[in-house]
Amino acid sequence: MSKGTAERVAPPPLVAASRQRRLIAGDRVFEVIAYGAAALILLIALVFVIALFIPALPAVTKFGLGFFISRTWDPVRTEFGALPAIYGTLVTSAIALVIAFPIGLGSALFLAEDSRLRFLRGPLSFAIELLAGIPSVVVGLWAFFILTPLMRDTVDPFLHHTLGFLPLFQGSASGYGFLTAGVVLAIMVLPIMTALSRDVIRAVPRALREASLALGATNAETIWSVILPYARVGITGAVLLSLGRALGETIAVTMVIGNRPQITSSLFASGYTLPSVIANEFTEAVGNVYLGALFYLGVVLVLITIAVNVLARLLVWRFTSEATAA
Amino acid sequence: MNRVLIALSVGASMLLAACGGSSGATNPSTGAPAVVVPTPPAAALQGAGATFPQPFYDAARFAYNKKFSQVTINYQGVGSGGGINQLTKKIVDFGASDVPLKASEAAAMGGSDNVVQIASTLGTVSLAYNLDGVADGQLKLTPATIAGIFLGKITKWNDSALAADNSGVSLPNQDIRVVHRSDGSGTSYIFTDYLSNVSADWKAKTGGPGKSISWPVGDGAQGNAGVATRVTQTPGAIGYVELAYVLQTRMKQAALKNAAGNFVIPSAAGATAAAQAFAGTTPSNFSIVNASGKDSAPISGYSWIILYKDQADKTKGTALVDYLYWLTTADGQQYAVNLHYAALPGSMASFDVAALKNVTSGGSALLSVS
Repeated sequence: MSKGTAERVAPPPLVAASRQRRLIAGDRVFEVIAYGAAALILLIALVFVIALFIPALPAVTKFGLGFFISRTWDPVRTEFGALPAIYGTLVTSAIALVIAFPIGLGSALFLAEDSRLRFLRGPLSFAIELLAGIPSVVVGLWAFFILTPLMRDTVDPFLHHTLGFLPLFQGSASGYGFLTAGVVLAIMVLPIMTALSRDVIRAVPRALREASLALGATNAETIWSVILPYARVGITGAVLLSLGRALGETIAVTMVIGNRPQITSSLFASGYTLPSVIANEFTEAVGNVYLGALFYLGVVLVLITIAVNVLARLLVWRFTSEATAA
Repeated sequence: MNRVLIALSVGASMLLAACGGSSGATNPSTGAPAVVVPTPPAAALQGAGATFPQPFYDAARFAYNKKFSQVTINYQGVGSGGGINQLTKKIVDFGASDVPLKASEAAAMGGSDNVVQIASTLGTVSLAYNLDGVADGQLKLTPATIAGIFLGKITKWNDSALAADNSGVSLPNQDIRVVHRSDGSGTSYIFTDYLSNVSADWKAKTGGPGKSISWPVGDGAQGNAGVATRVTQTPGAIGYVELAYVLQTRMKQAALKNAAGNFVIPSAAGATAAAQAFAGTTPSNFSIVNASGKDSAPISGYSWIILYKDQADKTKGTALVDYLYWLTTADGQQYAVNLHYAALPGSMASFDVAALKNVTSGGSALLSVS
């Protein structure tokens, strides 16, 4: 082959034919593994739900949907209802979000945006990661020994004194109950809330920020009218993931909620949550109906979690379609 | 699997070597009289169940393994319900429960004729309180006031019903904060058994004794340790706690009025006295609360071990009954006493031995003691 001839030489194939065949075979294998893994996850989820539902059947047949609205939890007479536990789960999680949302979002903005106190970022990031790494039983112990006396002697009386006209802050405080459990949950979801929000805010394109600043907006205006609207889908996701964590948290809540199946308007009162009931009573639950009722609680918890996830999807979907429409 | 076989055969040859000799060594640490117990064959035993007697079972199984190294015993404190469940599925060789089998549970194991239940130890429950200015043992409680407090009818410490029994004690004008167990537990069973026994009102309202019940008043805390800590932390609190926890944490406990009308401080000796007051205790008639006798601790109860009457594996079955026999003797019971459980009264120990003699494998009895 000489240079200078006009004939064009076909470019050599990127990979040799034999290698290509091998690659195709490799692709197949990879494909099978990937599909298998995907199918396995579906299978595990399915088996999980079935395995939860079958032992729950004796209670499902006995109590039906009335389980969701009954307030009785009486193992001796085998009368069971989930309402106080559902109430407790939702109330404590709501308190957790109310506390953790502003703190988490504020810290996330601080971590992601420019600030004169930049040198504090490192320590703050570290503290948040540290918080995320503390096992929940340790948080529970801390809450049990340190937080409950603090709530009983300082925080609750203060709230009672200043906001006592609201039914939420009436009654005598023992330091155990919805509010304390909510505070503990807030501490536990704070790292998720902060870390996810920070990442979402960081992902806002630089061009948007600069455009806003170039138009004369202040930092605060940029955050309020450009960054937060852009990041709200992600922030919603962070909130819902935090909610998922709060709904399922067991041991730390069990240690401070007071474990009393009741529905009260006062946040100082003792309550119960779905995971706490299961954790407390599972070991000594005898009889199909009793055990079934505990599994039924598990089903309720899964349903609530699924509902939260669906809600999250719907919200995200609405926001994104709005965003593209705009 | 092979290792198990080797271990078994090694154990068997050791057994042959030691054949003909029953071990009867004196315990060096306590100098207790020599107890003659059969030498067990090599086996690994699995047990699961109640958490209340677990410290005793743990101490006992280690001691037995030291005495007879060919036998290893595992015990998982998964709760009475879990223990019964695992025994029903034959995952474990013996189950432990604070309450003997119910008819339905026995039926799941092939009927009560298929199982043997023995009492392993005895415990008593104290009422611990946190009141400034009221010393340990100074507070006196009667069946009526205990029921009143736990029914939520007596809500202040200076209630006239309490004051009537406690002349000379300055009871504060303070809310009573009731603490009970949040987890299902044998301690709760014994306590509610007592309340159902002394108060018709309690029985009508809660439906009788249970490991978990719907409490008329109060907050739940997890485990004996949880209740103990919560009472220690909360001014005005009262809770029922296993005696051992009260002694270990130096809490204040109330003097309880027993059926003979005496105020007694709960103690292991008081539990034994209560047990002795009930002569014919069996797994179907096991309640010993509110016992007669001047020293009886009123809130006491047995803890039980359950096994199958017909053991499929003869070697394992022999090791199991040998171990359980040892557990009921003074040699085994000393580990209970060290941990503030009460020693089994003689009548119950004899009942246990008689029950263990019924355990068979392939039709022949496994326990070879006179």
